[in-house]
Amino acid sequence: MPRSPVGREIDRVDGRLKVTGAAEYSGDYRAPERAADLAHAHLVTSTIARGTITRIDTAAALASPGVLRVYAAPEPIERLALYGVTGQAAGFTEPYIPLQTAAVRFYGQAIAMVVAETPEQARDAAALVTATYAAQPPRTSIADEPHVPAGPTISGSPSSLDILAPGVESIDAALAASDVVVEAEFHQNVQHHVGMEPHAVLAVWEEPDRVTIYAGAQIPAAYALGMAQRLGLLPQNVRLITKYVGGGFGARVVLWSDTPLAAAAARELGRPVRLVLTREQMFTLTGHRSHLTQTVRLGASRRGVLNAVSHRSIAERPSTMSFTMTPAHSTSDALYRTPNLHVDAQLAVLDIPGSRAMRGPNEAPGSFALETAMDELAIATGVDPVELRLRNHATTHPVSGLPWSSKHLEECYRVGAERFGWSARSSRPRSRVDGQWLYGTGMATAIYPAARRTGFAVRVQLRNDDTAVVSTGTSDLGTGATTMVAISGADALGIPLARVTPEIGDTYLPPGAPAVGSSGTHATVPLVVDAARNVIAELKRLAVTRDGSPWQGAAAEDLRYERGILHGGGRSMTFGRLLTAIGSRGVDMESSPGGDPIPGVIHHSFGAHFCEVRVNRFTGETRVTRFTTVADVGRVINAKAARSQLVGGVIFGIGHALLEENHLELRTGRLANSTLADYLVPVNADVPDIDVVMLDEPDPRLTGPLGDGSEDVGTRSLGARGLGEIGTVGSAAAIGNAVFNATGVRLRDVPITPDKLIEHL
Amino acid sequence: MRPYTFAQPRSVREALRGAGPDTAFLAGGTTLVDLMKLEVVTPERVVDINRLPLDGITLDHKGLHIGALERMSDVAADRRVRENYPMVAQALELSASAQLRNMASIGGNLLQRTRCGYFRDVSTPCNKREPGSGCSALEGINRGHAVLGTSDDCIASHPSDLAVPLVALSTVVHLASARGTRSVPLDTFYTLPGATPEVENVLRPNELITGITVPRSPWAAHSLYVKVRDRQSYEFALTSAAVALGMRGRTITSARVAAGGVGTRPWRLTAVERALTGRPATAATFEAAVVRAADGAQPREHNAFKPALLRRTLVRALTELQESR
Repeated sequence: MPRSPVGREIDRVDGRLKVTGAAEYSGDYRAPERAADLAHAHLVTSTIARGTITRIDTAAALASPGVLRVYAAPEPIERLALYGVTGQAAGFTEPYIPLQTAAVRFYGQAIAMVVAETPEQARDAAALVTATYAAQPPRTSIADEPHVPAGPTISGSPSSLDILAPGVESIDAALAASDVVVEAEFHQNVQHHVGMEPHAVLAVWEEPDRVTIYAGAQIPAAYALGMAQRLGLLPQNVRLITKYVGGGFGARVVLWSDTPLAAAAARELGRPVRLVLTREQMFTLTGHRSHLTQTVRLGASRRGVLNAVSHRSIAERPSTMSFTMTPAHSTSDALYRTPNLHVDAQLAVLDIPGSRAMRGPNEAPGSFALETAMDELAIATGVDPVELRLRNHATTHPVSGLPWSSKHLEECYRVGAERFGWSARSSRPRSRVDGQWLYGTGMATAIYPAARRTGFAVRVQLRNDDTAVVSTGTSDLGTGATTMVAISGADALGIPLARVTPEIGDTYLPPGAPAVGSSGTHATVPLVVDAARNVIAELKRLAVTRDGSPWQGAAAEDLRYERGILHGGGRSMTFGRLLTAIGSRGVDMESSPGGDPIPGVIHHSFGAHFCEVRVNRFTGETRVTRFTTVADVGRVINAKAARSQLVGGVIFGIGHALLEENHLELRTGRLANSTLADYLVPVNADVPDIDVVMLDEPDPRLTGPLGDGSEDVGTRSLGARGLGEIGTVGSAAAIGNAVFNATGVRLRDVPITPDKLIEHL
Repeated sequence: MRPYTFAQPRSVREALRGAGPDTAFLAGGTTLVDLMKLEVVTPERVVDINRLPLDGITLDHKGLHIGALERMSDVAADRRVRENYPMVAQALELSASAQLRNMASIGGNLLQRTRCGYFRDVSTPCNKREPGSGCSALEGINRGHAVLGTSDDCIASHPSDLAVPLVALSTVVHLASARGTRSVPLDTFYTLPGATPEVENVLRPNELITGITVPRSPWAAHSLYVKVRDRQSYEFALTSAAVALGMRGRTITSARVAAGGVGTRPWRLTAVERALTGRPATAATFEAAVVRAADGAQPREHNAFKPALLRRTLVRALTELQESR
């Protein structure tokens, strides 16, 4: 009898392919039938941030060996036929047509493209392209440029609001009336997604009006739709294959300029074209997290009970693609009970590369500010940081007033504190010294939205060899989504995992869930369950109607499906044998629409981080020595992949707290650290063993009814919320709070680096 | 990358034949190939010297001799180096990554180019790359840049970890050209940028490093290299310190001190050495000796922390070395 794989430590179904290099990522794919024809493109980027291209000299590049074409802005539309994108896809597409304007709006914008027989020839010829500009001074300072209200948050809630207790005139009045006030200002520089796989695209035209694109995409359907509009094609004539993706983190949400350019060149040349961005180009052409300033003010009683929370921010609005940064969203507007709340998000229009959501887009920076301020409040009131959070624990969402679908945050604190040994801690800074090293501990809360996204579909096929295929057009960014699809299929059908083939990463499959906002799993799993239920119903219908079936003429409701076998009238048969008997190779059904989030509740995942650091008392290097994260993420589908996601999230937090920043040159608009030698991400030596606990409490109010709502198949896999981002939220604050405990130095500008610390050591 | 001719000679004489300003010698390739791809350097002729007989590590009464083509990882692992010159092994092990150390040669390490981001980005002005074009780092992002030995034309810091202990230990570099051989102290091998930052050393265009000799000394065995950086591995130094102390009882009889990450070349700190010599090895001595370590420093907007961090790095290194006795 097969045991359900749900919640166990399951190896990735594609793990072997990946570690042996056999998995073909977008840049590896060779289009075998057209391989001899393959041409290679390389981009040239601007070296000013704002102005107009007056001339691009392409003569030397054109004369360079192997060069087939050089396209330069402004390119006539007859050659690179690219068009505007409107409607639903516009939100996920760069809002300008690449190479069809002489306008330069950021440093590092694509201004020319060389296509040649080999990648090396294309790259070398691209270096020969020169441009002259009429430059204007770029707008680069979020402090000095005019501010505009950010507008609605990513989830549509207001980014500026006041909730005031009766009789309270303003948040300032509420703060003034508080016994203890903490006010703190936070800064962070531009951060980047830095996926391991470079952005790469291969465009293969099958017919003059039909193209297949191979590229990494987090929202395959929107990506393909945007491509169809860019190329002037019917939506069904663009097929996107996005089977293996080497990291998304938000950078592959958007249809940037590279993919349309490669496809347009392939069309004009009549050859497949591959375009791979250089690592340096990825820093300006595929988005970043906005740099920002935040101010948090907390007012509380002497016991630390919050009376007022104010969280204001100023971030970028790049003149091209812009992510609406609202760092109080799902942090200060959701986490703690407070009678008075004020949040406000402003943006400044800048001439810098397009920004985009990056893992925990608002929540990672927002939680750094809020959870650092909470630590300061703990110090100011003398209340233990865990106890302070328990005293301000919210049982209803502060803005909507709704209860949560499921919330076990207090359990996260309790379990985390115990595993970490929090009670042994001294709240007095610099109380633990070992030789050169000052040791300290800190903690912080994690929270991330978890409302279920709907409108997608899964198809389950039962085959006559007793295997099943579970198909959906979602993408696997390296998270383990493919394995999640297989696990939930095996669970819903009650058959061994090895007999389930997952099929994802293709827009010709049923429309899959976007791999964004930690939502892929909880959008997909209920659909797998529902499609399994539907295909089993169809199997029964075939069993009672088809020639060759032992049950022909019986009533479908008298048949029972259990673990891959139909039972009825004293007979049993596997679905494979039944299908063989009736002469069918397979039967498939899609999921039904529905499964909307249950109304009247609000959905978040929660967690608690506990961290120990050591700081060198001479030279100020901070090293993370211990980390415990306890996560309340609903049902866990694959304990191994889930742990990996949470560990990866914490590592992102280490980068946020200690390493990652790109400096914007105010004079030029150039992002100065746009190489992997200058933009530091954590290496293994920076990462201690990270202790991760998942409470594994299924969320009972996550998914509304699907289909007819009946439950005749296994549903052990339901109640899973997302967990891709929650490890990132709050982890940087836990590190910063530990640094304070170690040194007595409070740094509110990240990354926390030796140069900033030694001034105070 | 621009087209170039390629040769694989088997002797030094053959390698030097026809070598000129547009020739680049290829050893590990970890700097050269990188910079060629970026078109920061565009040699017309690349001479692969890996077949030359320039390997070997020997220790004799004169000191430690290391062939120019010895790989960083092999030198770091050598027992004689580890026992007699611990700070040399430490500097090597704290350099780059394991993969790079397996490839990179000792000669190439001493000649590696600066990590200044403007030097490496051909779209920005840089006097070192393109003399007379200007220095972008002066008003740019200069957190990693030098504060000592700088000029109005260049503030690029010297990137080598290995060169720091070697300078402290009065290492000699052996050079060969078609005209013969010569030996130059490493300290004077490197030149200051001045008005000609494109010139980084006294190596002539037709000259090759064949090896180095690190003199024998009573203090080299009691030495330590400390490297301060944001990231724990695979990163260049914000500051570093190589310290070696000769001791009689608790008294410092001789001291060798050099610093990295702060200078336009590896920076020997003879004033600190003098201030340590003859004094007891105590915290007070260390603190007093480093007070003037960064005298003459010219900090810029983002690297103003370096003089203080240098002093702290030196105290840390001296303290750690003393505690290790």
